[in-house]
Amino acid sequence: MNKVLAALDNSLAGTAVVATAQALAELFAAEIEAVHVPTNGDRSARGTAEAAGVPLRTLSGPVVEALVEAGEAPDVVALVVGARGTPAGRRPLGRTAAAVATALRKPIVVVPPDAAVAGAFRRILVPLEGSLSASLSPAWIAEVAPGRTVDAVALHIHEEKSIPAFTDQPQHEHAAWSREFLRRYLPSGLGAVRLETRVGHTAELVPRVAEEHDCDLIVLGWSQELSTGRAPVVRGTLERSRLPVALVPVQPVTKLEDAIAIPPARTVERSSATSSRS
Amino acid sequence: MSAASASRRRRSPALPATVARRFEAIVFDWDGTAVPDRAADASRLRELVERLCSHGLHLGVVTGTHVENVDRQLGARPRGPGRLHLCVNRGSEVFRADGDGLRLVDRRQATAAEDAALDAAAAATVEALAQCGVRAAVVSQRLNRRKIDLIPEPEWQDPPKARIGELLAAVEQRLRDAGLAGLPAAVELAEGAASEAGLEDARVSSDAKHVEIGLTDKSDGARWLLAELARCGVGAGLVLIAGDEFGQLGGLPGSDSLLLVPEAARATAVSVGAEPTGTPADVLALGGGPDRFLELLADQLARRRRGELPELDPDPAWTLTVDGVDPLFERVHESLLTLADGRLGTRGTPLGGDAAADPGCYLAGAYTGTGPETALVRCPEWSALSRPRPAAPALRRRLDLRTGLLRQDGPASSLLFSSLARPATVALRVQKTPWLAPRRESRVLTAPGVCAALADTRRDGGLERLGAYRSTEDEARSALASAEAAGFEQLLAEHREAWAARWADADVVIEGEPELQLPVRLALYHLIGSVADEGEAAVGARGLSGDGYHGHVFWDSDVFVLPFLAATHPAAARAMLEYRIRRLPAARQAALHLGRAGARFPWESAGDGADVTPTLARLPSGETVAIRTGELEEHVVGDVAWAAACYLDWTGDDLFAAGPARELFAETARYWASRVRLDADGRAHIYGVIGPDEYHEPVDDNAFTNVLARWNLRRAAAVDDLEEHERANWLAIADALVDGYDEASGIYEQFAGFFALEPLIIEEIAPRRPIAADVLLGAERIAGAQVLKQADVLMLHHLLPDEVARGSLLPNLDFYEPRTAHGSSLSPAVHASLLARAGRYRSALAALRVAARLDLDDLTASTAGGVHLATMGGVWQALAFGFAGVRPAGDRLRVEPRLPPEWNALQIALRFHGTPLQLRIERQGVSVTPSRWTVERADEHWEVTAT
Repeated sequence: MNKVLAALDNSLAGTAVVATAQALAELFAAEIEAVHVPTNGDRSARGTAEAAGVPLRTLSGPVVEALVEAGEAPDVVALVVGARGTPAGRRPLGRTAAAVATALRKPIVVVPPDAAVAGAFRRILVPLEGSLSASLSPAWIAEVAPGRTVDAVALHIHEEKSIPAFTDQPQHEHAAWSREFLRRYLPSGLGAVRLETRVGHTAELVPRVAEEHDCDLIVLGWSQELSTGRAPVVRGTLERSRLPVALVPVQPVTKLEDAIAIPPARTVERSSATSSRS
Repeated sequence: MSAASASRRRRSPALPATVARRFEAIVFDWDGTAVPDRAADASRLRELVERLCSHGLHLGVVTGTHVENVDRQLGARPRGPGRLHLCVNRGSEVFRADGDGLRLVDRRQATAAEDAALDAAAAATVEALAQCGVRAAVVSQRLNRRKIDLIPEPEWQDPPKARIGELLAAVEQRLRDAGLAGLPAAVELAEGAASEAGLEDARVSSDAKHVEIGLTDKSDGARWLLAELARCGVGAGLVLIAGDEFGQLGGLPGSDSLLLVPEAARATAVSVGAEPTGTPADVLALGGGPDRFLELLADQLARRRRGELPELDPDPAWTLTVDGVDPLFERVHESLLTLADGRLGTRGTPLGGDAAADPGCYLAGAYTGTGPETALVRCPEWSALSRPRPAAPALRRRLDLRTGLLRQDGPASSLLFSSLARPATVALRVQKTPWLAPRRESRVLTAPGVCAALADTRRDGGLERLGAYRSTEDEARSALASAEAAGFEQLLAEHREAWAARWADADVVIEGEPELQLPVRLALYHLIGSVADEGEAAVGARGLSGDGYHGHVFWDSDVFVLPFLAATHPAAARAMLEYRIRRLPAARQAALHLGRAGARFPWESAGDGADVTPTLARLPSGETVAIRTGELEEHVVGDVAWAAACYLDWTGDDLFAAGPARELFAETARYWASRVRLDADGRAHIYGVIGPDEYHEPVDDNAFTNVLARWNLRRAAAVDDLEEHERANWLAIADALVDGYDEASGIYEQFAGFFALEPLIIEEIAPRRPIAADVLLGAERIAGAQVLKQADVLMLHHLLPDEVARGSLLPNLDFYEPRTAHGSSLSPAVHASLLARAGRYRSALAALRVAARLDLDDLTASTAGGVHLATMGGVWQALAFGFAGVRPAGDRLRVEPRLPPEWNALQIALRFHGTPLQLRIERQGVSVTPSRWTVERADEHWEVTAT
């Protein structure tokens, strides 16, 4: 059975992380497991897990490596982590969260400490920049929860460089354009999808539109690069969003047939210590 | 067939790959190629010829001999659909042989002067030979030629072809004995004599025994046949040329080398002759004589009997090729690859389907739904196979624009067409494919207001499907029965011929920019295929290539599409006008509803002529806004009148002028007369409209609307038999209408108050153009700024150049173009036209290229919903009105060309006042064909008139 991991540390985000993992597990009909790498005691993590009725497994070793190894397990479909320890913490991501996010080749759901987490994901926002790479992110949901229809809002932001050349008759143009845009960039299909468009800066508008449309989760494709100047939309969204943000690794592709939505899991040499539940 | 010849055929090596394929025509020599000699039994040949013609193959004999010699031996009377022509008498005569017998279809007849010159040339040649000591004689005086026997000896009176080597040796020896350097020397003497006799372009040749001086030769026959094949829609790439004497004979090119005219450059040529000196590099030496030729024919027959797919002429200037299925652009490709016949359009979807595909089939004028939701009916499909297979990456789709044929090769090889000769009749042939479904019986499929009757036939593991779409089941079944009676090959032949006829009157050739040629032809292809030429034609914004814009009819059709048809195929333009005429009652009702007179045509129209414009729209900004074009974009009223005038200008259709046009002009003028308001000074205004520049709404006194209305009123007032008071009223209002023209600057103010708006120059502000400036800057900002969506004032210079102030093009172009975002797909082509008129070639070409590639490059990201037909019409207008500078002027065409330095020539086929013409514009001037047209220089322009 598929599993969603909730990575707990001694931070304010723990409750939101578990709640997000539970909602995700419900969406995927998956198990949930909390994991913790003790660095300064485990009472907070254990208390959070127990309060939520979620089993907790304690991992050993350096935090980042331990979480990545746990996340790479074949049955794990997502790892949920806190964005930072406190609302005033390092933005967009704390050091540990950033290191795990860039190393783990699986979707990671980043939860801000002050996140408003719904009991279940009723509606998700899928920002699409109009590239093949970004269009692969929703495939994660379609693949993990086949046949499950999700109320999805696709969002495309017209930034200056992508302002359309023509608008012709808007009473027809938008519908025609939207239909084709979704066929191109949301080929996986998520059930009931509607397309919202805006004009402006994507990083600013994604969290805003997610709130306007009462979404519970934002799903972003990314190339796992957080160095300076890279992933501005991911950075901006994580800085501003009060919603969990799923970061789905996607490869840069130019042809659909070349695309693999989620890279194959790395083979992990498991020791008995790391594979056993605590 | 004798046992010996059958045995010989069995022993023949297999045909090489270059000829082991289906051809659509065979052009062949007679003596030595088709028959060994004049006495040979040609019954097998006759049988093959007649059967091949019945399977749609065209055949043409090209020979030097006269028709009786060929027909006595061949005697074929094929009943079609393939045609048999005999090009005889060294290219001077063409006969057609068919079920009605043998009849002359073309003859070159020498004038008396030419005959005298031929006599003189022949006599001089004999004399010159005699002076060298060679006795020669003029042995016959045949049509357009004189034949000089170089060896008038009893032994060589009638040598058989088999003794050609001996004959040649004897003649050469005879000439050399007289000090002449063989046959070439004799030919040179004859050429000199012909020139001396005043014969220009005399054709001098030799068959070893004779030297012939003529006005024509076999090349004329070959040219005639290739032109005839082109009229049948068969390009040179589909032609097999067969002869037996391509190689040199006595130092002279073989007689069949004359078949290799430049027009045949893409044809396949084979020699079945002995060819002792070899064949030219582009001729395949098969050998084997007439028996081998018969094998070629038999092979062609076998291919057709087993239903082998017709090939497409592999001409890159006419072929749109799409390899594989690209999930991103598949729907775009399907729009581009649409097959349409004026009534029915079918998207170029992979035959076996694909997850990325968006199949669609639309019948013109068949709408469903009500109000703004009225949309083209998605008809039952005919081109899908019942057991779909995913399209393999190897799928290749090729659309032959010349013939409207779509060939698909990959998982299954197939050929599809929608008959231009029988609109809404379709045909599909699939080659032997293991996974084809079992045969299905005839069936009728329905959609609201549409019935499709389809019938499948299985043959040799392949499939043949014919179908017909009509509004009732009886009509569909009847049309299908008619198609089945004709059969696939007959339908194919008719269809090819229909397309060829349309291209003959519509093609545009740009010499010097090959990259533009295919996009331009693609535009013309869709324009031709989207409009019916009988009854009425509702031409939606995307033609018949998709359901974008719900198939609604806009001003696009009247102003952008119709001119091309008026100037190339008036019957289709007339059908478009008929669509408007039949909706005059609805237009009158709309005017009445607003308390006005006359007829008010709707901004968006569909089935019944009521306005179907949606009233809300989502913008890219996410806002929902009210759409007021249905309420305010009233220039469409004048656009319809303009379309009628355009049709009249090009056709001189008196019947239309006296009937429906009169009513259209009058009713639209009545509308404008009731729409204007007079101010205290007696000036007339039109308040609260939207002009072509839809960034600004509502506006008062939009220059385009007012000047168009003024023209409309005056045009209507020029009609005979009007009530005088109405005429006077219209003229008075026309005179009183303000037009915003400022004499000092030479600039028209686009609407009242435009000059006071924020002076933004979008050319300097935008990161690029074309750009949707309303998205870039926001609708509110743009409404208060001097930023245009598309040509507005400049549309006047494009549509009504005689209605604007003389010399006002340049100042208005200078003022408005930099302020235009070109955010409408209609804008680039109009600007290309006007920039060309202004001689600004670089900008004009840049705009033209954008317009020409708009759909090919999916610049709107919406071609998936269908091609932008109006842009395509605009491309033609830019070429015809802008670069060629053609305008009807009464009974003549005025031509004031603007040929960019990058182009060597621009050639445009047109039809003016019922007569076709080819206009050719080169740097040095203008020429026109055929000869019944004359062209004269007049100041800065040329005038073309029919004599």
